[in-house]
Amino acid sequence: MNRRNALGLIGGSIGAAALPWGTTAAWAQAQTLRAGVTGFTVINTLDPAKASLIPENYIMYGIFNALLKFNDKMEVVGDLAESFQAIDATTLEFKLRRGVKFQDGSDFTADDVKFSIERVADEKTASPNRSKVAPISEIKIIDPFTVRIVTKAPYGPLINYLTNTRTGTQIISRKALEAMGPEAFARRPVGTGRYMVKEWKPNEGVELVGFPGAFEGAPKIMSVNCPFIAEESSGMTAILGNQIDLTSTAPFADVPSLEKRSDVKVLKQPGLNTRYIALNNKRAPFDDVHFRRAVSMAFDRDLLVKAVIFGEGVVTPGVLPPAHWAEGKPVASDFLKFNPEKARAEMALGKYKAGQEGVVLIWGSNWWRRIGEIFVGQVNQVLGTKLTLQAMDFNAAFARAKAGDYDAMVMGWLGLVDPDEYIGEMLGSKGFRNIHHYSSAKMDAILDRGRAEVDRAKRFAVYREAEMLAIEEMPVLSCFTSNVHNLTRPNLKGFTQMAYSNFADQFGTITLS
Amino acid sequence: MKLNLATAMSNKLALIGGCVTGIVALAVVFGPWLSPYSPTEADFLALLAPPSLSHPLGTDSFGRDVLTRVLYGARISLAVSISGVLAAAVFGVIIGMMAAWRGGLWSAVAMRFCDLLFSFPSFVLALFMMVVLGYGVVNIAIAIALIYMPIFARLSRNMALLVKDEPYVHAAILMGQPTHSVLLREILPNIAAPVFVQIALGVAFGIVIEAGLSFLGLGVQPPNPSLGTIMADGREYFQRAPWVLTLTGMVVSIALLGLNLLSDGLRDVMDPKLRARL
Amino acid sequence: MRELISLLARVAQGAGAILLLALLGAAAVFFAMRAGHGDPALAVLGDMATPETIAAFRLKWQLNDPLLVQFWRWLSGALIGDFGASMVVATGEPIVKLVGSRLPNTLFVGAYALALALVISLIAGTISALRHGKLIDSASTSLAVLGISMPDFWLSYALIYALALGLGIFPSYGFTTPSLSLAGALYSGFLPALAIAAPMAAAFTRILRTALLETLFRDHVRVARSLGHSENFIFLHHVFRNALIPYVTVIGLQVRYLLGGTVVVERIFGVNGVGSLMVDAAFARDYPLVQACALVFLACVLLVNFAVDLICTRLDPRRA
Repeated sequence: MNRRNALGLIGGSIGAAALPWGTTAAWAQAQTLRAGVTGFTVINTLDPAKASLIPENYIMYGIFNALLKFNDKMEVVGDLAESFQAIDATTLEFKLRRGVKFQDGSDFTADDVKFSIERVADEKTASPNRSKVAPISEIKIIDPFTVRIVTKAPYGPLINYLTNTRTGTQIISRKALEAMGPEAFARRPVGTGRYMVKEWKPNEGVELVGFPGAFEGAPKIMSVNCPFIAEESSGMTAILGNQIDLTSTAPFADVPSLEKRSDVKVLKQPGLNTRYIALNNKRAPFDDVHFRRAVSMAFDRDLLVKAVIFGEGVVTPGVLPPAHWAEGKPVASDFLKFNPEKARAEMALGKYKAGQEGVVLIWGSNWWRRIGEIFVGQVNQVLGTKLTLQAMDFNAAFARAKAGDYDAMVMGWLGLVDPDEYIGEMLGSKGFRNIHHYSSAKMDAILDRGRAEVDRAKRFAVYREAEMLAIEEMPVLSCFTSNVHNLTRPNLKGFTQMAYSNFADQFGTITLS
Repeated sequence: MKLNLATAMSNKLALIGGCVTGIVALAVVFGPWLSPYSPTEADFLALLAPPSLSHPLGTDSFGRDVLTRVLYGARISLAVSISGVLAAAVFGVIIGMMAAWRGGLWSAVAMRFCDLLFSFPSFVLALFMMVVLGYGVVNIAIAIALIYMPIFARLSRNMALLVKDEPYVHAAILMGQPTHSVLLREILPNIAAPVFVQIALGVAFGIVIEAGLSFLGLGVQPPNPSLGTIMADGREYFQRAPWVLTLTGMVVSIALLGLNLLSDGLRDVMDPKLRARL
Repeated sequence: MRELISLLARVAQGAGAILLLALLGAAAVFFAMRAGHGDPALAVLGDMATPETIAAFRLKWQLNDPLLVQFWRWLSGALIGDFGASMVVATGEPIVKLVGSRLPNTLFVGAYALALALVISLIAGTISALRHGKLIDSASTSLAVLGISMPDFWLSYALIYALALGLGIFPSYGFTTPSLSLAGALYSGFLPALAIAAPMAAAFTRILRTALLETLFRDHVRVARSLGHSENFIFLHHVFRNALIPYVTVIGLQVRYLLGGTVVVERIFGVNGVGSLMVDAAFARDYPLVQACALVFLACVLLVNFAVDLICTRLDPRRA
């Protein structure tokens, strides 16, 4: 075989290869978008009702649509629903788009909406998002293009939970699911989005192919490779070496130097996420509110932002990320400010003294561990405590957190869109993110009000109340909210970044010049 | 004639190796006392400062002096590696000598166990031990011990088999020396040289294992530094502060170079026949 | 004929030993994994895990059965070539298929690294021995020692920044499967193979040089020389052949380092091989997948060592 043939063969095989090799295949790259999923290597399912991992959502955003979505101002607008309105306090009516086709060619109707959402609510599905739709009492089909969703009581978070984010309420094709069965569907899902799964290589990546009949229009680039790249720094070297066009994250430390380069573009904005130190409120020493407050005043959150994420984020003023729609003026509380004297005075009020021991679990990548390192160092210095660090892998740490077998641990949640997901699930006594064993009747009452309130401004006031209580009782130590980042090649256009960490939903508008 | 020349040259390299190792050892033992900085206490006014007279290797993301951390880290890395290799040597030599001396079920089982350990790729075994036992210095030492034990067991078994039939060993047995005394006084000294060489080589490789584990985030726990954790840290902000990874890596390479040259020389001097670097 | 029979007997004996060790290793991995912390359910369900979804997961994968029952289930499957399905890393994917698709990549990079190490060491070791004491010998000896003194991940990053991002000669990330394009695999696999090969090349060079030097001055070589054989003939037939035995032995000993090295290097360069798969599986507590990967690695080491034994026997019949 001569050299020309060899090159031809390689060029032709790029569609199936995880990554093309070198620059000789440049002509082929124009047809294929190479979008690296960085920092992750595992996807278990692409069934919205089942998915729970962030990279699963990255891909699903492009395969499915939900009834609603966020626009670039983070306002809820119609997606598969053309319009929606409240009929009464417990009923929302959705007018559906007409002429929408699923990727298997079948028509999208109200029946698919009812089926998709009821499936998430069904206990047998064991969806991680079941609690989001559990308050729904009935989904009424008025006609093939009108649906009413009725809740048992007024339910404020509902419209956020019907968007194409980490909600599980993306609309699937009933016909396809019933024909394929859930196992096969999870690997070859059928939605209304602009991309379909062409091949899914476990632990390696996903290949997408454009759906010409998508209601949003056929994508500009029909073929997309999404390799999983374990190391974020490898994602960066890959984009600098022109092995990929787009990443899902960027290493914080490198953002400033990358911003100065001309061969890569950095997209960033304040993210919807929270990085905090989870405390076990049922176990010494963090069962004492004075000690918790003292610790909170004994470390400098600004420093964390500076040294951990190199300024790529902001201190969380309360519990909610500042980018959140519910966040208005920052919460001002002395309990969140670094103040060694006040910290020591506060500790003196409680039952634990200098010399108190405790273990902070750390896990994950280096920058993530630094939170614990700085926290423990400063608190010990200010309060004279003897907190220590214990490093483990995420799985072991999370298993201990779930079992309640820990004192404190560095934690974080990403991409959640409703304030109830942060405060309600984290601090409500029944919230499933409540690994803190925090239980307060007062908090639960506020949260119930927040859920029952449908008016945005009023909800905001309620969650502000919850935040103030959380600062007063300090069940968790909020630290900071980091920016979300994407790296792109300079020739890539048409990717709109969203605060909740979006990805494949934007592929359809991307062009490579 | 020509051979002597070669030996002389390798001895010259060994001398260099000895000097480098000596300097590194002195630096590791005394350096931390001489350094004005703390290896763990942060100085947030001097984050990621480039190399200068006051910080020859620059500072890291906590503003800590990298040189000080490397010196302390080398202590921890060396301690982990040495204790792991020594444990491997002790258990390996016992198993090997018993197997050569007595045979029997016990030593057969022990040798098969060593064979089994030897069949695991070294880093796979180490990684696996970390996931099962959890992270921490003691567990790294255990992993290094398990990687090296079969090598010592095989080595000492083979050497002991050779020595066993020497006349002086027979003489000792005939004179009524008890078994443990024969093993300790007659056999052990005669297999000691290759074991020492192997220990020196093992320590160098143990440091690489520790660095690899810490690099994946499985190794020494913060805030304590180790060579691997410092390099892993430096890798993270390589674009911004390339000196941390680059210079630390160079220091590690130079130290290991010294150690390897020294053990090469030792081998030539002590036992020219021992050829295989296990 | 007799030779063939004895060879077959050795192969059968070796295969038996390999099988036994591999099974023992698998059992050790199985029980050690379960004794450690962690829960595969949490790896699958992530931050949204609820008690109900965890219970459903454990039921589905029969994780509530007694350990011995689980082991027997795994073993009886493994013996007929059924390693079950991946629990976490690739939920539901048959492990045979999963590992089967990754093994060629690891074997390719491993063999590539071995080939590079052999080529480098054959050249460097021979030149070193023939020009011993000269500058080129000192240079290659020192370089060889430097080779084993560099942690593989450090070398990987040095290669990426120098050759991939700096000079732009090689790709900085990614690997083309050899079945798609051999040329692409050779090109994209060069840096990872070199990172793995460097310490091995160093070890091989050192051993070859020493072995050559020892045999160069042996009596039979002197005899051959006095008989008037040409230097080339003497080198190939007398010196080199004898020096090969320790050289080949060392290859067998180095295989466990080689395969160990793939774990880190595959991750850095994005080679989709068994090493990076095993790292993910171990972190995710994907028990059956870890067991299968460990078994593959065990088998590789054992097979290579067995092959080395056979080659050594052929080179030196006295060892049989």
